[in-house]
Amino acid sequence: MHKVLLIGNPNVGKSTLFNSLTKSHEHTGNFHGVTVEEKRKRITFDGEQYEFVDLPGLYSLNTFSFEEEVSKNIILKEQNSTKILLADANSLKRNLYLSLQMSELNLNYKILINNYDYFLHNGGKINVEILQQKLGVKVEIINAKKIKLNKELLKIYVDNSTKISTNQIILNNNLVDNSTKIFENGQAENLQKNFKNLKNELKFAKNLQNLSENSKFFKNFSKNNINYETKQNENFINKNNNLKNNFNFFGNENSNKNNNAKNFPYLNKFIDIVKLKFNLADEQIIFAFNGEFKNLTDEQIKFIRSLYPQIIKARYKFLDNILSDCMSVKKDFVYGSSRADKLLLNPLFMFAAFLLFFFASIYVIFFGLGPLISDFLIAVFNAIIAKPIMNLLYLTTSNVWLIEFFSGGVFNSFTTVLAFLPQVCLLFVFLCILEDSGIISRMAYVFDDFLNKFGLNGKAVYIILMGLGCNTMSTLASRNTSNKNLKIKTALVNPYISCMARLPVFVIVASAFFGKLTYFVIVGLYLLGLIVALVMAYILNKTILKNTDNSLLLEFPPIRNLDIKHIYQVGKTNAIDFTKRLFGVVLSVGVIVWILSHTTFSFAYTQIMTDSILFFFADKIAFLFAPIGLNSAGIVCALIVGIMAKELIVSTLSISNNVSSTSVLIASLTLASSVVNFSRASAVSFLIFSLLYCPCISNLAVLKKEVGTYYMWFAIISQLTTAYLLSFVAFQGMTHGIIFPFVAIAVAVIILISAIYIIKKVKHPKCLTCKKCKRG
Amino acid sequence: MSLNEVKLNTPCLIKQINNIDEKTKIRLMELGIVENTKILVKAKSVFKKTLLVVFNNSCFTIKDDVASAIVVNYA
Repeated sequence: MHKVLLIGNPNVGKSTLFNSLTKSHEHTGNFHGVTVEEKRKRITFDGEQYEFVDLPGLYSLNTFSFEEEVSKNIILKEQNSTKILLADANSLKRNLYLSLQMSELNLNYKILINNYDYFLHNGGKINVEILQQKLGVKVEIINAKKIKLNKELLKIYVDNSTKISTNQIILNNNLVDNSTKIFENGQAENLQKNFKNLKNELKFAKNLQNLSENSKFFKNFSKNNINYETKQNENFINKNNNLKNNFNFFGNENSNKNNNAKNFPYLNKFIDIVKLKFNLADEQIIFAFNGEFKNLTDEQIKFIRSLYPQIIKARYKFLDNILSDCMSVKKDFVYGSSRADKLLLNPLFMFAAFLLFFFASIYVIFFGLGPLISDFLIAVFNAIIAKPIMNLLYLTTSNVWLIEFFSGGVFNSFTTVLAFLPQVCLLFVFLCILEDSGIISRMAYVFDDFLNKFGLNGKAVYIILMGLGCNTMSTLASRNTSNKNLKIKTALVNPYISCMARLPVFVIVASAFFGKLTYFVIVGLYLLGLIVALVMAYILNKTILKNTDNSLLLEFPPIRNLDIKHIYQVGKTNAIDFTKRLFGVVLSVGVIVWILSHTTFSFAYTQIMTDSILFFFADKIAFLFAPIGLNSAGIVCALIVGIMAKELIVSTLSISNNVSSTSVLIASLTLASSVVNFSRASAVSFLIFSLLYCPCISNLAVLKKEVGTYYMWFAIISQLTTAYLLSFVAFQGMTHGIIFPFVAIAVAVIILISAIYIIKKVKHPKCLTCKKCKRG
Repeated sequence: MSLNEVKLNTPCLIKQINNIDEKTKIRLMELGIVENTKILVKAKSVFKKTLLVVFNNSCFTIKDDVASAIVVNYA
């Protein structure tokens, strides 16, 4: 089986290419860090098996974030795979930096250039023929959206003969600066012949000294390690035996030097410098130049790292030289910059636009288009599937258990959650609009300062927005951060953001108790989740997870027109995923819940829930929930089952109440005879507890994987405590009639503090006393 | 002067990067902030702590503490 790795900088279109080649529908978006773990898909084409791997974006093999580490490990581990480096034509130089690193490690790969149309439209041009000759790697221009899998395409990708003669590259590229010229073919041979001659040694030493004058590092290096004046000639020669071997390299094919160093002359001088100090193999040194330090001591790593700035400059010099011959760019062309940025980067506009978008989308999702489609969907489902099956059962059997099982266990749990399919799809469509347009990166920039106050950085905007869809996915996205504390903090606060699975709970319970105020209750719950997440981030930042740095290095994507086809695809994909979850977790656990709630300890069927096994256990622990008003066994069952998946809360409530539709469930919740026994105060408590209480099983699994068992338990305990405390305040406050004054005072204080803060920041006169003004 | 001191939309050239942690410094360089790269600040956020900078035809956001470390001259 052929493995094909798709490698490249973030947001160059790797996932789009992956989708085109494998006919998949993986999540894509117009911002940095959409893919945070590798995605694999096997396909059989023309009788052969291929595995395509879509890797998270990385700028360099010397990794900066955790997602980059994932990519690098796979690139280095999958040595025998075919590697496709996807580069963006609009930022080719930076994209090719990674290409150089891969070439240095002698990896077999091919370059595909994407987004060329945009580049061409903006007056740019690339000569592919010259580029591939100069680079020594096969280069092609493609359109990642439109490319189709074909025989020729795959043949090229698995062809190992794409590399152009290495000697040709040296001839093509006159890139060696004065300090390295001594290593060129002819001079190197002369040096080799006369190596024993002291004059030549000193000439070489002078070159190194010249080199040393160019950088602070080399100065220190020469001071500490090479005292040419005082060293005995013999010692010098002995110490530099490795150099002798290097000179041999140019005239001797059997040299042990990594062939790739010959492709990239700038590497030679750095390899030689390392060898002056340490006895390391060339390959080991080249790997170390690319952030891979196998079997090296701390001293060696420190030394090699200190060479990085010089190596990076040399690589860019190399690239400048290549691209000056084969690429032209229109003056002042800036990829990612847009006229709309004047507006979008205005914090007040962005803040107002975001709030408007947020409130409008919630309205459309829950009270506009969403319910209309839901009603239609449920009517269709009942007419086509539920009713015919129930009619058949009534005609063929008189077994009450079987009829109740299908009616109450299967169809109830299914339809109550199915009713929210349109809402979930619409939510993802709205998120997709933000992602595709490129606005998310602008939001990250605008909100970065604000989020810094809570110990997060601008990238948390992605994670919060993703969390509105699915907390598990957004927990994974916390990889998209540059340090461990920030990653853990982001992952821990993320489950406070209300995911789509909690929507049904909010809509049903809020509709039952708040009527026309339902919209505001739902908006309030979303905001509460956000506020609690920020407060928790602040507390963590001040206590156990202090920020070591919160540097935001974020690339701006261009503002793009919305692709209706893609938005439709996102809606469709999420509809399919949600339906799969319905048939999988919701239906299976719903059936188990129904059986447990309709079976006695003597395994007899019962319609009285208080006699059931489930009620017995739930009743035993219900007293724990009494202070927050949730001491009903039915509610306790729903909350416990909700840990499996939050969608199950609603289906369990409907099973407990033995109702078959959303509207009946809403009506039944307010009845005093209802099994779940809600009051208005306990309903608010229930909503708050459901919002905050515990991540679902899949989220816990991801938390364990990403931040470890300790922090997973920390998340469970801290969320349960927070949920319990806030529910307690809400329930007791409402029960004793003090909650509304309390909320009013809290809101007034928040508004007052915000106003003072903003006025202080905006109106602060220039002075010479405070730190900020002194620095500015 | 440092990058966060320059006037908006005025091209400047990078001279060197100082006083910053090694990891960030290396990453800046790998993104293309090397000596003599033309760079300009497009915008500053509301509290002027996050800068939008342009270099090598790309837009990047960076923090002012990082920008303080980038020594520039007007082009």
